[in-house]
Parts: sequence; C-alpha cells; structure tokens
Amino acid sequence: MNNRSPYIVNAPSVSTIMFKVLLALIPGIALYVYAYGFGVLVNIFLASLTVLLTESTILSIRKLPIKPFIFDGSGLVTAWLLALSIPSIAPWWIIVLGTLLCIIFGKHLYGGLGYNLFNPAMVGYAILLISFPAFMTHWQAPIFLIDGHFAWIDQIKIIFNSQLISKETVDAISSATPLDYIKTQLTLDQPLSRIKQDKIFGFFGGQSLEMINFGYLVGGLYLLKEKIVSWHLPVAFLLTLFLIGLIFNIYQPDTFASPLFQIMSGGSILCAFFIITDPVSAPTTPKGKIYFGIAIALLVFIIRIFGGYPEGIAFAVLFMNICVPLIDSLTQPRVFGHKQ
Amino acid sequence: MNSIQKIALDGFWKQNPGVVQLLGLCPTLAITTSVINGLSLGIATAIVMALSNGSVSPIRKFIPIEIRVPVFVLIIASLVTIIDFSIHAFIQPLYKALGIFIPLIVTNCIVLARVESFAAKNETTPSFFDGLFMGLGLAMVLTLLGGLRELFGKGTLFSGIDLVFGPSANNLVIHFFGDYHGFLLAILPPGAFIGLACLIALKNRIETNQ
Amino acid sequence: MFKDHFKKISITATSMIIFSFIASTALSISYFITKSPIDESDAKAKKIFLNQVISANLYDNDLVKDTISAEPSQLLGNKKNIEIYRAKIKNKVVAVIIESIAPDGYSGEIKTLVGIDHENKVLGVRVINHKETPGLGDYIEIEKSKWIKNFDNTSLEKITENHWAVKKDGGEFDYTTGATITPRAVIKSTYKTLLYAKENKQRLFAL
Repeated sequence: MNNRSPYIVNAPSVSTIMFKVLLALIPGIALYVYAYGFGVLVNIFLASLTVLLTESTILSIRKLPIKPFIFDGSGLVTAWLLALSIPSIAPWWIIVLGTLLCIIFGKHLYGGLGYNLFNPAMVGYAILLISFPAFMTHWQAPIFLIDGHFAWIDQIKIIFNSQLISKETVDAISSATPLDYIKTQLTLDQPLSRIKQDKIFGFFGGQSLEMINFGYLVGGLYLLKEKIVSWHLPVAFLLTLFLIGLIFNIYQPDTFASPLFQIMSGGSILCAFFIITDPVSAPTTPKGKIYFGIAIALLVFIIRIFGGYPEGIAFAVLFMNICVPLIDSLTQPRVFGHKQ
Repeated sequence: MNSIQKIALDGFWKQNPGVVQLLGLCPTLAITTSVINGLSLGIATAIVMALSNGSVSPIRKFIPIEIRVPVFVLIIASLVTIIDFSIHAFIQPLYKALGIFIPLIVTNCIVLARVESFAAKNETTPSFFDGLFMGLGLAMVLTLLGGLRELFGKGTLFSGIDLVFGPSANNLVIHFFGDYHGFLLAILPPGAFIGLACLIALKNRIETNQ
Repeated sequence: MFKDHFKKISITATSMIIFSFIASTALSISYFITKSPIDESDAKAKKIFLNQVISANLYDNDLVKDTISAEPSQLLGNKKNIEIYRAKIKNKVVAVIIESIAPDGYSGEIKTLVGIDHENKVLGVRVINHKETPGLGDYIEIEKSKWIKNFDNTSLEKITENHWAVKKDGGEFDYTTGATITPRAVIKSTYKTLLYAKENKQRLFAL
C-alpha cells in the first residue's frame, strides 16, 4: 500500500501555499525584529541564499528542471523555519551549514519535495543542536533587558566574527531562555514562584518571547482561515500540551510551570501551526493528524521536563515522523464494503 | 584468476562484509569513532576470522553435523577470549578504548557466517584466506568509516595512536584545522549510520558506473 | 533401531566433550600466560590515572595497593564502602586520593577523584565518569578542557564557603555559558570532599 502523502489535489499550487505560509510568518518575524534587533533577519537572509544555491546545485546534479522546483517556495519555508528556530546571535556558519544539511539530508536524499520522511527544518535543527550545543543554546536577551548601550552593529559582529567584540558585551547581550532557566534553577532547589520573579519572564511565557509567539499565533490563525492547515494538528497539539501542563501544574505548582507557560514559551506555537503541519511529513487522515499532534505534545513535554535538552520539539517531531506511515495505515478509513 | 585472488576480491569488494553483506553492524557502527579504533577492532576481527576459518576447516570432517554450530561458536569464543586476554595484557590502553567490543566479536555474525558458509565446505588454505580477506575487508570499511567520522567530527586523523604505540607516537596525529569546533554528530551514533550509508552509496555508484 | 540412535547420540556427545575439553585447555593455558601481564598492566593503568591527581614525584610508596576503606558518607556521596588511596613519603602519609560522587549533574552522577595533601590543599581533581551532554557539559574532562585544573592548589582556607561556586553565582570558578549545572555539581562535590578530609583527618593521615 502506498502511504505517501498525496500532492495537494484540486487545490492552489504548491507555490501559492508556500507563499501564504511565508506571509503568515511575517507578523512573528516583525515582532522578533522589534524585540531582538536585526540578527534574525541576517539569519533569514543567509538561510534563503543557502537554500537557493544548494537547491539549484542539487537539482542540476540530479538533472531536474531548476526553475519550477526552486520557485515552489518549499525550500524557503524550510530555511525560514530553521532561521527562526536557532539563536539569532549564532555564528553565520551555523545557519548556512544547517540549511545545507536540511536540503541535502532532509529533502533531496529522500527524493525531493513530496518524498521526504522527516520534516527538513527539524532534521537540520536536530543535527545542529546535537553537534553544536554550545552555540545552539546561547540565546540573545531581548533588547530592552540589555543593560547599557546596545548597537545593532554588535549583533552583526557577533554573527560574522565574535572575536571583534569583547566578552563582556557578549555576556551582556546573551541570556538563558525561560525553559532553560527554570531547569537550571530548579536544580538549586528554588521554588518556581521565586524563579519566575526573574526579569526574563513575562505574563505567560518569556519576556518578549511570548509577544513573538503571539505573532506566530496570528499567522497561524490566518493559515487556518485560508484552509492551508487543517485544525486537527494545532488543536490536538496545543490542547494536549495545555492539559498535561495543567495536570502537572496542579500536582506540584512549585516544580512545574503553568500550562499557559508551556504553550507560550519555546517553540510551541511555531511548532503547532508551521512545523507539524508540513503536508509531506505529517499524517494524511484527520484521525491520524489528531494522534500525531497528541503524541508530539506528550513527547515535547517529557523532553522539556525530564530530558537532557531544554526544548524537545525537534526530537519529538522527528520521532513521530517515523511513525507517520504506521499512523496513516492504522487510521485509514474503512473502504466501503470491506470488513474491518 | 586463481582462487586466492578471487577470495581476496570477494572480501575486499564484491562480498565486502561491511558494505555489501552488512553483517556485523554493531561494532561497525559503535566503535568507528576514529581511524585507530576502527582499524584496531578490524584487525582483531580479521585475526579471529582467519584463525577460526583456518582451524575449523581441517577438523570439519570430525564435527557431527547436528552440533556443528555449538562447536563453531565454542572455537570462535575461545579464540576471541585468547585475543581479548592478549590485548588486555600487552596493549592495555587499547583494551580500555575498545572495551566490551573485543569480547563482542564472538557475537559478530560475519565470523560465524564465514565459518558456516565457507570453512565448513572448503580446504584449509582457501578457508584461512577467506577468513583473512573477509576480515581485512571489514577492517577496511571500519577504518574508512572511522576516518570519515574522525575527520568531520574532530578535524583530526589518527588521534589516539598513542593508545597503540605509546605516548611517543602522539606527534603522528594529523590536525587539519587550527580552530575546529567539532561536528559532534559525526562522532555520535547517528553519524555512524549516515557515514555507512554514504560508503554504501559510494560503492554502488562505482559499481553502476563500471 | 534404538541401538543406532544410542550410538549416534554417544558419538555426538563424545565429540562435543572432546571439543569443549580442547577449548577449555587452550583457554586455561592462555589465562595463566596472560594473568600476570594483565595484573601488571591494570595496576600500571591505575597508577597513571592516579598520578594525574597526585604527581608521581610527591610520594614513594605503591599508591595502588596502599588503601584504606571509607564508610558511606553524606559528604562523599558514596553508598558503598570506597577505597581511599594514600600517598606516603618514608611511611608518612602526605596526601590522599578520595573518590567523590556529585549526585546533581545535568544528567546523573559525576564521579571524580580528588587528591588532597596533609595541609588540606587540593592537589588535583579528575573526572572518572559522567553522562553530561557532549559538547556542552563535558568540558570537565581533562581531554576536552583545562577547566578541571582550576581546582589545583585550592583549599577551604583560600576560598571561603560562599566562593565555592561559579562566577555567575558570585564564586571563584569559571564556567561555560549554557552549562552551569555541571560545574556547580563538581565544585560542590569537591568542596564537600575537602570538608570530609578535614573532618576525618586523624583517620586518613594516621600511620
């Protein structure tokens, strides 16, 4: 039986869809720039450039027409998602190498768009996180939390040659993410209520981070309205994450953060609307999508709380990607006239 | 082409255990984090294979067919244990680096597979060379994979050479980049799978081009 | 019929016994040949490792064999009796090597060896094993970074209790951004080992 995700049938072309996905990312990116400066734009630019160069090279090696495949925009979506997932002050070669790996190992080795088993952006992210954990967990602090003067040129310098600026400046503009901070402080036997007094926390999630997540949410709702993503995946994912967060939070409020925190921090929203909804690597049946979303949310929560890394979305998504053919075949609606 | 040459060609290329038969993947994947590790375990395996093939073949007519597998395993296990003792006694640092993987040669299917499929049916000399070349073919793959992973993962080649030849050999380690951050994935288990896949693809590519 | 069967089984069993006998003889011989080299090389390897903590020119006894046993202690984090190695010059204890367990690493326990001299000064610390994240928390290994050498020559007198911490927490010790749990655990366990050595000084440094 062929369980491969179907190309979108009777629907707008791939390039229209991908263009709308990119459009939906804009509010989040705009807020990102507002809160963190231009670093993320540099990363997006580098990623896009790498995608175009890598894809045209590979397509010409594979003797495929270059133009239609490049302009379908799927590579750009991968590149942008990866750029938004990594720290905005990571050295330039991180995003270039990551995008290269996404396109080669995540996409073309499997046969190109429509054939990839794994979400390409998450393949790149997981490889980067495992290989360069020091760079990949070194995040920038929101601009208005940085003491003293902060020049945008410093961000450019950090990305292209961190030796140009002093270690003090690097320390001043970097900060732990809320998820990581909670994990670290809990080992010092501090109650969560005290940990959350820190200035890096906002109303629900991280200071400024929750704002960006709100931007992604707006974009995600737009995608729902345009019927580019079906509601099953984001709703199943977010609801499960909320519920399991709630259960643990009620059980031990001083160790486990509130359910809203789980949703508004890390990459939860981006994951719910833009990552697990990748039409190629997600299940195709509505029931399958719901199981997929639930399982990813559970894994994300488990990795966040008990795992060796502060955020678990990439690993959870990749793990469930392997299960997609199984999910699809188990949730295939019964063909009329056939027995169960 | 005489038969020894054919056996060598089979071992190194046509029937290579590492990239064609895909037998004995556990050590292939687990131990190949550097050239030295890969080469050392490869050579140890080759010695075991040559000796086990060479010792099973002359006595093959005395082994009752019903208990041939227990007898083969007995012989292989004894040989492996003797080699394990010797490495522990005389090359202690290497013993520490390879750890459990020397005793685990016993469970490497390629050893039993060659004994069962070749040594039990052929004369002693060809059997000995079959074990030797199959083992060296595996050693070649282990070394290549180790080199690949070490080069990408650490930016060096022959690191850990002092484990075999003593501290004085340390200056034989080749450093390719001055300031290399280390591509950890290559060293970690996923890197072994990706690296092996690349080697298999490369071999298939060369074959289809011929 | 039965006789044939019996004959076949006897032949099979006899040959299995013969093969087992040959194999075990070969094994016993090689065991006796390699036994003393194995013991020697194990002791040598252990000595090389211990010498990283206390350099070889500081003592003249056979460090590997000169041990006393230590009961489980809160300060060392050990649950079973462990051996403490004692370095002597002319039969006078000059330093001890204590195995210490930090229970609160990022992913599990971190085992270290701490060398302490008779003035309660740290001679050296080395990590025996740990499960910290590769590339992030593993800079406590001497192969990866010189960080662990920060402990050399420290003591309870030189660094007051509050300063046994990473710089981020107002202490004396460096750390790598993004991995503070690991050094915290090692610093804490080294500090507690020093306390242990101080409290048990009579016993550790007795003749």
